[in-house]
Amino acid sequence: MAKNKVALTAGGPAGSGVFTIGAMFARSVQKLGLWVYYTADYASLIKGGHNSCYVRAEPEEIHSQIKLSDILVAIDKLTVQKHFEGLSHEGALIYDSSSFEINDIDMSKRRDIKIFAIPFTKLGRDLGDKIYGNIVAVGAVSALVNHPLEKLYVALEKQFGAKKGSEVVEINKKAAKLGYDYLKENYKGVSFKVTLEEIKNQPTLLLSGNEAACIGAIKAGVKLVAEYPMTPSSSILSFMAANENKYNIVVKHTEDEIAAMNMLTGAGMTGARCMTGTSGGGFALMTEAIGMAGLSETPCVIFESQRTGPSTGMPTYTEQSDLRFAMHASQGEFPRLIVAPGDVEEAFYESFKIFNLCDRVQTPGIVLLDKHLSESSRTVKVFDTSKLKVERGKLMTNEQMAKATAFKRYELTADGISPRCIPGQPNGMHVSSSYEHDETGWTTEESAMRIAQVDKRARKLLAIKDEEIAPKLYGDADADLTIVSWGSNKGMVLEAMKFLKNEGLKVNFLQILWVLPFPTKKVTEILSKAKKTLMVEQNHDAQMRGVIREFTGINIKETLLKYDGRPIDPEDIYFRAKEVLK
Amino acid sequence: MTTVAELSNKHTVQWCPGCGDFPILIALKQAIAATGLNPKDIVVVSGIGCSGKTPHYLNTYGLESLHGRGLAAATGVQLANPKLKVIAVGGDGDGLGIGLGHFIHSCRRNVNITYIIFDNMVYGLTKGQTSPTSRKGFKTSSTPHGAIEHPINPVALALAADATFVARGFSGKLEHLTNLVKEAILHKGFSFIDVLQPCISYNHEQTYEFYNKAAYDLGATKGWKADNVEKAFKKAYEWGEKIPIGIFFQEKRSTYDDELPQDKDVPVALQPIDNVDITVMYDKYL
Ligand SMILES: Cc1ncc(C[n+]2csc(CCOP(=O)(O)OP(=O)(O)O)c2C)c(N)n1
Ligand code: SF4
Repeated sequence: MAKNKVALTAGGPAGSGVFTIGAMFARSVQKLGLWVYYTADYASLIKGGHNSCYVRAEPEEIHSQIKLSDILVAIDKLTVQKHFEGLSHEGALIYDSSSFEINDIDMSKRRDIKIFAIPFTKLGRDLGDKIYGNIVAVGAVSALVNHPLEKLYVALEKQFGAKKGSEVVEINKKAAKLGYDYLKENYKGVSFKVTLEEIKNQPTLLLSGNEAACIGAIKAGVKLVAEYPMTPSSSILSFMAANENKYNIVVKHTEDEIAAMNMLTGAGMTGARCMTGTSGGGFALMTEAIGMAGLSETPCVIFESQRTGPSTGMPTYTEQSDLRFAMHASQGEFPRLIVAPGDVEEAFYESFKIFNLCDRVQTPGIVLLDKHLSESSRTVKVFDTSKLKVERGKLMTNEQMAKATAFKRYELTADGISPRCIPGQPNGMHVSSSYEHDETGWTTEESAMRIAQVDKRARKLLAIKDEEIAPKLYGDADADLTIVSWGSNKGMVLEAMKFLKNEGLKVNFLQILWVLPFPTKKVTEILSKAKKTLMVEQNHDAQMRGVIREFTGINIKETLLKYDGRPIDPEDIYFRAKEVLK
Repeated sequence: MTTVAELSNKHTVQWCPGCGDFPILIALKQAIAATGLNPKDIVVVSGIGCSGKTPHYLNTYGLESLHGRGLAAATGVQLANPKLKVIAVGGDGDGLGIGLGHFIHSCRRNVNITYIIFDNMVYGLTKGQTSPTSRKGFKTSSTPHGAIEHPINPVALALAADATFVARGFSGKLEHLTNLVKEAILHKGFSFIDVLQPCISYNHEQTYEFYNKAAYDLGATKGWKADNVEKAFKKAYEWGEKIPIGIFFQEKRSTYDDELPQDKDVPVALQPIDNVDITVMYDKYL
């Protein structure tokens, strides 16, 4: 019997509440003290089609999904057909026996599967509405793994209590109990390989990459969010809007992404910390204004969550193909900061950090996320904010400006960073301009000043210290294989390393976290010592491999590239690593 | 009190001598002076074009944005710090061609910005191509056989988009224009002035002489009141022998920032951010 280790998949048509099944199960097992990972797969439609979600829980920290599930909850027949082969040995299929039959599905290859026919819809309807059916299903799952119903009740309270009131909570609790009792009564003698039990653990937060990034931005004091919805960044807009009162943030759903980014050039000028969220298509519309922020030296942050491209691509699927785009978007040359968080913690801490660095360098910054990170949730230790300090760089105070004489907004300083004042302050009037300018902001086309201003802007990046943008190395420095990756792949690589370690293989992992400025020194140092190297990316062109080669001159020979919109699984990395090691 | 001299800076204005932009700049300075606003609390935002250079000729804060994006940038300034007075300026190509979307949304948003279009019915800075306000048949290097499209009527468009202050001015009537700009600045909400601006280099049709003959002051017209949208629409389409200038329509409506739910005592841009407590958000995730 496997204690406290479980993976569950639930599937059904869009609009059927599949995600609630996953979310409730995830939340209830978090309450046992387990580490949880949650992810979802859905198409860009509101009803019909096929959606699924996935929950994994273990007593030790986990970082991603794995291929096989122990439990499959099927709301429709298609789910059974699509997923039953993904069940682990002696896994359980729980299906809605009141809405479809499964005896015509050929499961002869998988006689090990334990099947539980539970009439979700009917039991839901008995309570007054079939919509309770998916909570009946979660109740049945709880019974299957001996998971105390109280934990599920807590999850239901969290989900429905605040928004819908106690009546709704009560009826959902009843639904859960119906499912629980039904399975217990009708499958009395049947044992299942997984049982869950409460363990002692520190408190955790279960949240998604986008949520963590937003909380990081709020901690950094973001005051204006201008955004146009686009999957998978839309939840950034709604998260911020939901918190606009509590934190006094102006949240503007703009007419388009062009407006959003241009608003930041204005808001940033006033001294407000400001941001936008988007995905590749919207980012494309922002490019001209990103250059404007670069030239006018206006700090602002863009959260770009990548999905498959080009064009509309596969809107709800993941990819990492905007790396080069983010690095080079906009005409001309100017310094920009790019960080690509690899997990929920980094989404929080690095989002906080980039606001400080953008203020310090007075330039736009990009937090490059991907759908798999943005929309997947994971339990993390409660954030440690004790060391987080807001730093505004050379932003002038009113007192300083009261005494200022002949203030030059674009003064050619040794570090390239000029003192910055904001409208409303005395003695600092200047034009923040999309035109090349002299030290005062006045338009210039004169060659010496042009060179001086380009050099000044480029020089600003030197104000960022190596340790602030360091890559991360996991595992022993001395390894036979170094896996190199970035973004949400971090989780899957870490999981793959568990498998590899179990077999005594010596593999370590270099995660590129900050892309610009690129941590050339450290990456060169690590890669020049590496015996074998393997690049893992979610794109066709191995973009990060090219970037690494550009900055370090080192070419990573082997690759694992995936661009079907689905996240790489740890197993894929494990097998590829073994191949390379051979 | 701010004087016109204080609003002027040392830079030489770089428009063609005789350009209809000069009087607009003077009107702007005189109007600001008349309102008594402190230059440090003013941000003049522009797009790109001949008109886009305006912020550089004023001793206030300025933002020379991208072509067509002045209003978007101005909205960012205004929402982050509603205590500032934001004045946006730009050309007809800038505001009604490439930036048209922002114009319509700014009208209906009633964001507290004064917006002046320097409407010369041609692209000046790029040397004389057809603009969205060029008349049908207008011949330029981009439409050598004459413009095929009907022109945009900026006044009617602003009315249709629910702007709360809609006016038309003329560069050749400085005093009238100064008054209009002053009224626009004093208006709470989105105040729009379409200024008929002769471009002496690239538009030889809509000249000073043309407008001097046709323009008449709505305000001096017996019985005219700028409080009726339907009447304003009708007036907006009067064009040719007689061209009305003045305020077409004005109404009181709460501004975008008035209706924002956030704390308003201190503009968000100036609120302290050193110690934001995020723990109150945790409960949902614990
Ligand atoms: C994105 C972009 N496209 C094109 C241009 C080139 N451009 C600069 S000004 C301008 C048109 C100017 O006409 P208008 O807006 O009417 O202003 P005017 O010069 O007449 O005052 C154009 C097309 C640009 N700067 N940016
Ligand atoms: S080109 Fe026309 S609009 Fe531009 S400065 Fe000359 S006269 Fe004025």
